[in-house]
Amino acid sequence: MDEKELLISFDRLGLSPDASIREVERAYRELCELYGEESLATYSLLEYAERQEKLESLQTAYDRILQSRLYRKPAAADDLSVVNGLVRPEVVSRIICVDADPDQNPGIFLQQMREARGISLREVAERTKIGSYQLQGIESQRFDILPAPVYLRGFLKEFARVVEVADVEALVDSFIVLYLNDRDV
Amino acid sequence: MTGSVDLEKLTPRPKIWAIGGGKGGVGKSVVSTGIAMTLAQKGERCIMVDADLGGANLHTFLGMSHPSRALSDLFRKQSLKLQDILLTTPFENLWLISGARAMLDMANPSYLQKMKVIRQIFSLNADHIFIDLGAGSAFNVLDFFIAAHEGLVVVMPTPTSIENAYHFLKAVYYRKLRKVVRELKAERLIDTALSEKVKSGIRSPRDLMIDLQYRDPLVGAQIVQGMQPFNPRLIVNQVQRNEDRDLGQKIALACRDFFGINMTVPGAVRTDERVLIALKSRRPVLEMFPSSPFSEDIRRIVQQVTLASEMSDG
Repeated sequence: MDEKELLISFDRLGLSPDASIREVERAYRELCELYGEESLATYSLLEYAERQEKLESLQTAYDRILQSRLYRKPAAADDLSVVNGLVRPEVVSRIICVDADPDQNPGIFLQQMREARGISLREVAERTKIGSYQLQGIESQRFDILPAPVYLRGFLKEFARVVEVADVEALVDSFIVLYLNDRDV
Repeated sequence: MTGSVDLEKLTPRPKIWAIGGGKGGVGKSVVSTGIAMTLAQKGERCIMVDADLGGANLHTFLGMSHPSRALSDLFRKQSLKLQDILLTTPFENLWLISGARAMLDMANPSYLQKMKVIRQIFSLNADHIFIDLGAGSAFNVLDFFIAAHEGLVVVMPTPTSIENAYHFLKAVYYRKLRKVVRELKAERLIDTALSEKVKSGIRSPRDLMIDLQYRDPLVGAQIVQGMQPFNPRLIVNQVQRNEDRDLGQKIALACRDFFGINMTVPGAVRTDERVLIALKSRRPVLEMFPSSPFSEDIRRIVQQVTLASEMSDG
């Protein structure tokens, strides 16, 4: 990857190139929230398409930085010990086991399914035409940033299909139940 | 000679505050009156200039009757000086230059007439001069804002008000960029960058700045530097809910991210029904309810701005 792209990636997140991974993640999260659809602060700054583009560019910047640091999620590191280092690092991400309960944690289940199939969030976003900010909201079960059930249902269905969940309907229902419970509180 | 106000060449004596930001009704005048009163109460000599020609009503905020002299007199009578239309207010250390009196009976002031007045405003004898700008983004409004030492943008936590504020900031930004580019004679550089903007992935003014620095490291850096001394301050007025308190910071972050403007947020002002009571009594809130939430918030903002400008002055 060329250096200019990496510098621009840091700049997109408003960081200097020596920022820590923690700072990168925080900046990324803050900016995703800032440009989210519900955000009063930027609602009138960008058009719909610009907003989507902005979120995509944040995603790209974030991915690039993480890639450049050869950063792996803790879950992947655990798996490395499971296989006793017999597997080459680049395939590590493909052997994450799916252990989340699709009824209890449908979002995490979706994330694990996706990772197990080696599909990036970006690919899911491209194939479903759903913003990666929202996809991430689904994976992390951040109900506060997700749209109303009538839209959410469609998003979940698309997402589940792309990562080939066996019982799409059941997963969508579990997620919606969790969502509504959360909104009630 | 661009005809714009060049602050460096004038005495730095009075500190110029310009208060702008979109539509009427967001509290520009209430906030600027509050800030001026706070400083006047501290013994600093303040002059308020009601530059909202056509919608001027600062005198009412100060409990004064319809002014006998106003800016429009300057345009009518060449011999008059700004000093001559200075009005005393009921408050110590506070004077007013009114923009009231209908201008319908006279021709619009010419550009030169306006520039003459602007120059005189910048050399008035006082510690602080507050220019309460009208709504909208006319060129002289933008120039005032760019030239001032402190540019304050007042918004309310509503989508419409924020939209107007962005519109205003965009207009100010491009006005300033044009000026900087013209001074550096870098029109061609900008034109080339903009014509290739899709290819280079330029989506915001800030992307443009980054692109320029790669395109032409020397001139690019000069443009970026020329845009730097522009640090407007944002005040969110009529904050009701806790989450709206962070709104200013979020808008500032978006401005940094989108424009590369270094906007700071000296504070938010809580909704306070006493503001309306004071308005109806035609008395400044700071004088009628000195310990109300509004007055407290305004004093805190003044403190923040003073601290920040002392630090930047070294």
